[in-house]
Amino acid sequence: MSMFSLLGALEIGLIFSLVALGVLISFRLLRFPDLTVDGSFPLGGAVAATLISFGHDPFLATIAATGAGAVAGLLTGWLNVRLRIMDLLASILMMIALYSINLRIMGKPNVPLIMEPTVFSILQPAFLSDYVARPLMLLVVVIVAKLLLDWFLSTQTGLALRATGANPRMSRAQGVNTGRMILGGMALSNALVALAGALFAQTQGGADISMGIGTIVIGLAAVIVGESLLPSRRLFMMTLAVILGAIVYRFFIALALNSDFIGLQAQDLNLVTAVLVTLALVLPNVKRRIFKGRGR
Amino acid sequence: MLNAQDLHITFNAGTPIENRALQGMSLAIEEGQFVTVIGSNGAGKSTFLNAVSGDLPVDTGRIDIDGVDVTRQPVWTRAHQVARVFQDPMAGTCEDLTIEENMALAQARGTRRGLGRAVKAASREDFRARLATLGLGLENRLGDRIGLLSGGQRQAVSLLMAAIQPSRILLLDEHTAALDPRTADFVLKLTARIVAENRLTTMMVTHSMRQALDVGERTVMLHQGRVVLDVSGPERSAMDVPDLLQMFERVRGEKLSDDALLLG
Amino acid sequence: MFNRLSVRAIVGATAMAALLSGAPALAQEKSVAVTAIVEHPALDAIRDGVQDALKAAGYNAGKNLRWQYQSAQGNPGTAGQIARKFVGDRPDAIVAIATPSAQAVVAATKDVPVVYSGVTDPVAAQLVKGWEASGTNVTGVSDRLALDKQIELIKKIVPQAKRVGIVYNPGEANSVVVVKQLQELLPKAGMTLVEAAAPRSVDVGSAARSLIDKVDVIYTSTDNNVVSAYESLVKVGNDAKVPLIASDTDSVKRGAIAALGVDYRALGVQTGKIVVRILKGEKPGAIPSESSSKVELFVNPGAAQKQGITLSEAVLKSAAQIIK
Repeated sequence: MSMFSLLGALEIGLIFSLVALGVLISFRLLRFPDLTVDGSFPLGGAVAATLISFGHDPFLATIAATGAGAVAGLLTGWLNVRLRIMDLLASILMMIALYSINLRIMGKPNVPLIMEPTVFSILQPAFLSDYVARPLMLLVVVIVAKLLLDWFLSTQTGLALRATGANPRMSRAQGVNTGRMILGGMALSNALVALAGALFAQTQGGADISMGIGTIVIGLAAVIVGESLLPSRRLFMMTLAVILGAIVYRFFIALALNSDFIGLQAQDLNLVTAVLVTLALVLPNVKRRIFKGRGR
Repeated sequence: MLNAQDLHITFNAGTPIENRALQGMSLAIEEGQFVTVIGSNGAGKSTFLNAVSGDLPVDTGRIDIDGVDVTRQPVWTRAHQVARVFQDPMAGTCEDLTIEENMALAQARGTRRGLGRAVKAASREDFRARLATLGLGLENRLGDRIGLLSGGQRQAVSLLMAAIQPSRILLLDEHTAALDPRTADFVLKLTARIVAENRLTTMMVTHSMRQALDVGERTVMLHQGRVVLDVSGPERSAMDVPDLLQMFERVRGEKLSDDALLLG
Repeated sequence: MFNRLSVRAIVGATAMAALLSGAPALAQEKSVAVTAIVEHPALDAIRDGVQDALKAAGYNAGKNLRWQYQSAQGNPGTAGQIARKFVGDRPDAIVAIATPSAQAVVAATKDVPVVYSGVTDPVAAQLVKGWEASGTNVTGVSDRLALDKQIELIKKIVPQAKRVGIVYNPGEANSVVVVKQLQELLPKAGMTLVEAAAPRSVDVGSAARSLIDKVDVIYTSTDNNVVSAYESLVKVGNDAKVPLIASDTDSVKRGAIAALGVDYRALGVQTGKIVVRILKGEKPGAIPSESSSKVELFVNPGAAQKQGITLSEAVLKSAAQIIK
């Protein structure tokens, strides 16, 4: 595997680790299965790409994209809390609506950014090549996002949010406005996902209406792979775990792409990825069985 | 201090499974009083408790706490004044959170939750001190997930959580029903101590007539969504379980007039 | 502690295997890496056409040519990783088929030669600045159809047509380009365009049905959804007697009356010829983008009859192939 492939896996893995953090908040902490992400990821890409193509500053465009994701999450939460639509259903409704909304925002199915300035092209230091600089910049973004999230979850409001997912009835008895917590949590989660989408469009050369398909699957895979690699209930470790999970997952895909030496073909990519992820899931059980009696 | 007036709650109104859970339930509890509430299944005990806590909306009627009408307030707004221990130890605590996180959650009850640290170092010491009074060794396990504790231990922590913030009324919803007799006894003694120490106004729903008479200073019996018996003071101290049982059966057997109840 | 060590050992061994995998190309061996966003008859035909052209020029896979093909399975994230992998392999040319894959590759490298194919509007996709030689590392072949010829065909088949209906996927860049151009060109020919959207291939049938009584003919582009569900269009055309005109010759076999279409295999060969020029030393920046040079007219008199149209002798004579 070339350095390019490795750094490419790292780069895309870091972008999707933001998605994984978002899915961690909705799926794990709030126990809210949220398919909105299939719509808010391309929403972020759409808003950022469209604004940039109109000549706006890429940083402002990226921030706007993050804000748009927050609004999408708020709407999903509102459908669930105020209109009492079941969580999964509410998120599916938003996902479907966002398809049309994204098309409207972009005005066409594909908004290219190859010839436009991006946050990466602006911040690119002259002494580094772009395929090294981008992962480094993304690493900074992800670390900052992780630390902010860790801090937030350790605050009173963060605790109230976690309690809302863990035991909503008891939380209400402790004075937590669970409805507001869900709205806030969904907004935060989808803001992270939209940020990822905005950054993805800027590294991929453009936003495409189809870029969101399968985002929830990637996010969940990252969360699950991460949890099997780093099982822990401590917040600091949980956020670290899903980041690692996203990177390892993309690494597995890169591995699958490079497996033509075992005679595998392009069509086998999905199968190989599935096998590798299964191995990741089974690893903890195998460890446990081999070291039986040694205690957890 | 707590004044429930003529509460009516009907489930599935107008359908074949209509259930008139509360039919004109009225109860006034003074500051500092410890009231036990008893009644057969379906008498409306839990329904009444849930109405007071805000979990169940009432169809008609009014609930005042300290003269303030809280009837339309949602659970989380009322939580400022109403503390509660659930029957199911699992339902009353957040399994996935640690002991100190659960207590921190309770400590912030009634306050505006902001971006300050959830578990401050000073609070931790406070929690440790409170847990030490239980004598269960939990003060050394602050960082453990509360799901690892036994039912009795969780109920004990729940009681501490209920008392950690001053509240106007403490609601106990058959909180020893899911525990074995020895643990139930422990929790009950703990209840009495905590209520006395903090001078809490308390309403305890129970299935056990023994408990209803031994604990607190006033016993109220519900039947068909209404109060049918209200004893306190020397009359109550003189009563024993068979006496209460007699009354219980009489109420269930025939429809008594109010005078007969007071005299009987 | 042992646990952690064993995990590290496994991870380390995997990493080693990964780094060692992927043999470097021999000195005199040329290497061409091909990627498409998804597997699809038209895109596959392009790929095969490229291989044909390479073979004709004497480059054979496994002998003096290292050939690799990866499909992104419809996943943009995977398309990005494929792009990066290819760039890391430093082939002599990368062939990128379809807009999302082409964008990912062009965004990933400024020096490895890139030949795009199967992109209707490379300028709108920002693959190149214009149709002339780009001066960058990008060139390629567009499958855009000269729409004026398409409109001519419509007039030849259905002379009285005033309202032209089109079924398309609003999420496919290539189709949206065609629709926009038709909106401008049709009025000049005295006709109007009526659109029906089919975001998924299962929507094609109902989109077609919504056009009945509103149009005199249904025209379709090389839209992926439409092409994959063309049978549902044919059912509507036959039942409601609405003439169908397609843009790909394959659909004529499936029930369209006619199509003036790009032969995608031939498009692939055209693309492959550009790749050969690059392998022989030409700079991609000096090669201007091309559009499909070979369009053929296929007609299906049987379908015409079912849809209530008689084909003129002139049309039948000019057809490259008549489907029985």
